[in-house]
Amino acid sequence: MKSESCREWRESLGAYALGRLGEGERVALEAHLEGCPDCRAEAESLGAVASLLPHADPTHFEQPRPAPPADLGARIAATIGAERRSRRRRRQWRLGLGLGLGGAAAAAAAVLAIFVFGGGGSAGPAQHVAFRSLPPGVKIAATLEPRAFGTEIEMYVSGIRSGTLCRVYVRGPGGGAVSAGTFRYRWGADDTAVLSTALDLSRAEELIVHAGKRTFVAPIGGATALEDPHHEEEAT
Amino acid sequence: MPAGALTDERGVREAYAAHSAELFGFAVRSLGDAGLAEEAVQETFVRAWRAGDRFDPRIGSLRTWLFAILRNVVIDLSRARAVRPGLAGEGAPEPAVEPFDEALLAWQVEEALRRIGEQHRQVLVETYYRGRPYAEVAEQLGVPEGTIKSRVYYGLRALRVVLEEMGYEE
Repeated sequence: MKSESCREWRESLGAYALGRLGEGERVALEAHLEGCPDCRAEAESLGAVASLLPHADPTHFEQPRPAPPADLGARIAATIGAERRSRRRRRQWRLGLGLGLGGAAAAAAAVLAIFVFGGGGSAGPAQHVAFRSLPPGVKIAATLEPRAFGTEIEMYVSGIRSGTLCRVYVRGPGGGAVSAGTFRYRWGADDTAVLSTALDLSRAEELIVHAGKRTFVAPIGGATALEDPHHEEEAT
Repeated sequence: MPAGALTDERGVREAYAAHSAELFGFAVRSLGDAGLAEEAVQETFVRAWRAGDRFDPRIGSLRTWLFAILRNVVIDLSRARAVRPGLAGEGAPEPAVEPFDEALLAWQVEEALRRIGEQHRQVLVETYYRGRPYAEVAEQLGVPEGTIKSRVYYGLRALRVVLEEMGYEE
């Protein structure tokens, strides 16, 4: 190893890669590089790193990296949990029908088949309901799914006082609101509340949440359908 | 099923803990909006979970895979933003992919510069980005000019190590 003798040359390689050596130093260094493959390789490697510097903007990297909101992970888990549960239900009835299981399982399949095919025209995609213009820090999201009995509602809430009692209503045509049940928000409980109402999703117009003394309302009609490429596969 | 798959919620949680900060940081840099970035990161993990059984660690790292998904999400979001009602007939303009790759490169280099030591970052900012003479920076910091030169050298080396750790490939 001749690294000891190269050490002083090495420390000039950064300035050299960035074109900041004086003329005399540069000529001397290049003479050394001529005869030293190790230093030459290091100079090339640092040159490649130096060539990346123009891509960065100090106004960005001198700022701390923006951090995702603390509850984003919980919201993602809630979205995935809701989708997994609805997917599993679909798979259950499909397996029940497809495999021709005997006894109780067949009976269960028959019941589930009624759920799916005898649902009174309520079949349709699950819908996300977005609550807009919430106070800062408050997050409410809901996924509504058409069911034979009416509508299943999966709710995610955060940013309100822990222990707050939430009452959920669905408004149908004509302005009447039907209760979908209650739940209590617990701080740190990273889960969704599952509620239900007898009102068909196709007739539901507004989702209303009374959280303590506050009331939040979101329109249901025209809500975006859950985008899930597996839905179609599973339905066939 | 490959280890580290995202097919269950625990896998997603672990992937989120390991990579969400980077994905979010990049999404903000690329979309220029924290709200959109949140949306993009959420959609990225939901898509990753849906396609979890297709992830193969033999092909690439989880991080690379998540960034590839985020890339598609960002393009979709940009396309959605680009579609304006009332421009029928012309069709939606193709979202530009080039700026995405440039933004990814910029973000990687910026992220690497955030991670190197403060002294190294400082000399690179002062001498390279602000273009100040080494002697002037040496005087301001009260160190010999040779120290500035060696900090530039070790700074570039540190940057190289961090970029390698981040999986940067030329």
